[in-house]
Amino acid sequence: MVAARKIIPPPGAEPAAVGSPPPASLAVKGGDFLFVSGLTAVDLKTGARLHGTTASETRQILANLKQLLEAAGSSLDRVVKVNVLLHSMLEAPNMNDVYAQFFPDPPPARTVCGARLPDGAKVIIECTALA
Amino acid sequence: MTEKLQRSTIEPKNPHLHASRRSNLPHVPGIRVGDYIFLSGMTPVDPQTGERSLGPIAEQVRTTLSNMRHMLESAGSSLDRVVRVHVVLADISHMADMERVYREFFPVDPPARTVWSMQLRFGNGCEIECVALAG
Repeated sequence: MVAARKIIPPPGAEPAAVGSPPPASLAVKGGDFLFVSGLTAVDLKTGARLHGTTASETRQILANLKQLLEAAGSSLDRVVKVNVLLHSMLEAPNMNDVYAQFFPDPPPARTVCGARLPDGAKVIIECTALA
Repeated sequence: MTEKLQRSTIEPKNPHLHASRRSNLPHVPGIRVGDYIFLSGMTPVDPQTGERSLGPIAEQVRTTLSNMRHMLESAGSSLDRVVRVHVVLADISHMADMERVYREFFPVDPPARTVWSMQLRFGNGCEIECVALAG
């Protein structure tokens, strides 16, 4: 029997706006795992980008991630691996201060990298969770 | 579920696309384990010759995703079984060109995805890896 693949729709989103469909799903459930796209700081309802500081973008992303995971029947305490991309590694402490408030003890495995990010994002966070 | 999971190697049917063997690099094209297929980062390789194919970024992305489709189909999977993609660009300003081609390969119910930019080897403009469901 092959594992089922299921697209998780964005929680609380308004009906899809006219235009081309998004190139990525926010999250896909495959087998026992939930694969969540690299999230940038957006208003989940409108999809509008919320540019801010590293700390404020981290807070927005993790609040959205919490909502997304719960809508998919998972949760922050079922996350197994997180990848955090930052526009500058000098900002890592600012991300960490916010990050530590969201995850339970013990938190998931994690990697943090500095990279060039699309659309002027300061932070991108993706994760793999238990479905 | 006490049975121990086994891992097996994924090989492309087209030997030109076995980039790691051709370049004597210490990785395999992909690994299958349980329900999952994990592919190595793939770069633009001409399927006719096995040589790097470094044209405009749109062509590089098309070549890479076309080879990824071949790799997955060689393993009995397919692009529509992909659950996660990482797209790494050498130049983040190529985002729009990448996106235009990417959509052709994942027109409906696309996988989860993260895109960023960092240094790539051999002058490659893109490197793309994925996790897919087997079968």
